[in-house]
Amino acid sequence: MSIVFRARADLLARVRSDLHRPHSFAAERVGFIVCRAGRLVQGGLVITAADYDPVADEDYLDNPKVGATMGPAAIRKALQRAYNGGVADLGMFHVHMHGHRGMPGFSPVDHRESRRFVPDFFNIAPHVPHGAIVLSRDQAFGLCWTTQDAEPVEIDRFARVGAPLRLWWWKR
Amino acid sequence: MVVETVTGRFASQSFLGSDSDATFDGTTVGVVGLSGGGSHVVQQLAHLGVGHFAVVDHDRIEAKNLNRLVGATAEDVAVNRLKTEIAERVIRGVNPQAHVVARATRWQAAMQDLRECDVLFGCVDSYKERAQLERFARRFLIPYIDLGMDIHPAGAGFSMSGQVVLSSPGGPCLWCLGILTEARLAEEAKNYDGAGSRPQVVWPNGVLASLGIGLFVQLVCPWHEASQLTACCEFDGNRHRVETSRMEYADELCCRHFAADEVGDQFFTRPE
Repeated sequence: MSIVFRARADLLARVRSDLHRPHSFAAERVGFIVCRAGRLVQGGLVITAADYDPVADEDYLDNPKVGATMGPAAIRKALQRAYNGGVADLGMFHVHMHGHRGMPGFSPVDHRESRRFVPDFFNIAPHVPHGAIVLSRDQAFGLCWTTQDAEPVEIDRFARVGAPLRLWWWKR
Repeated sequence: MVVETVTGRFASQSFLGSDSDATFDGTTVGVVGLSGGGSHVVQQLAHLGVGHFAVVDHDRIEAKNLNRLVGATAEDVAVNRLKTEIAERVIRGVNPQAHVVARATRWQAAMQDLRECDVLFGCVDSYKERAQLERFARRFLIPYIDLGMDIHPAGAGFSMSGQVVLSSPGGPCLWCLGILTEARLAEEAKNYDGAGSRPQVVWPNGVLASLGIGLFVQLVCPWHEASQLTACCEFDGNRHRVETSRMEYADELCCRHFAADEVGDQFFTRPE
């Protein structure tokens, strides 16, 4: 099963620009890439980024133990965004950024936290994939949930659609 | 990987980047239409080292195709071979390890294969199909390279012209550039039954395919700093010239035909 994630370069630039901004107390910023999907052969998926929703300044919780903690308002807004009447619901991919170059990875906290809240999106938008992504300065890594109960799977290939076109492969 | 088994094969194109071999090898390219234009495209992609293909054409070769379908043989005509089989043979002849998905069907029946492509070439005859292919590519955020050629009577002779367009999500589209117009689609629809066989020859297809390959390479492995999101190369086959006049105002165009959030499958549902 192949999972491909594509985003326009201008959207990714908007994401990076927002995540790069300092916050008054959180050590890092987070947001949600709003996505739609298409089916590939053999159960694969192509995830296409449609928009970006930053987490508002006031929706962070002050938690010095981790880089950023979303408050209930941030989660509620993201859940509301996912719901589109059940007809064309939106996939929500949580995103944060590491400051280095090369292939990024999830920390144990990232793994734990994403497993805690990403499956909740299936309560609202059960028919579309959701996930979590970490960006580095030039690459990306991500996990995709295809159902609420399934184990997340790595996104195989990222495409930054612009000039130039950039492709990043996981496990290559 | 291919790079390891054919050491030195790509030495002459190392200026495309130290990792260009791996990039081409990992890139998936779709080619819809495998006759005059598409046959040149797959051949050049294979020579570049592209490692993954989705080639689509429902048709079989006929004698009338042999004047322009590169890689085809008289024997192919004799056995009425599928154009996808010829394309796959050409690709594997250059790159035996290439992963080729060949679909002898209308492209609309191969969408799940084409969605996986990183770049899509459209080498189809009709404006209607080009409009549909571009819309498909935009929805799945796939840069689309469109090849079109036309030879028609003009005065005492013929006019030969064509164009290659790189249409990328976020940039001007075939509609913005005036390649697609309602009038052209209407004219095409009106003449649908009486179109007959249109003149086609090998060399303009080769020119247009080569221009398209150049646009593909500058997008994936740019060898200069002016990598382009959008391009429109117009070929005047009578004067043997390539112009880019439609691009004069393209940078100022904000595409009104495809919204940024109109992506993905509108009817996506999880299988039961």
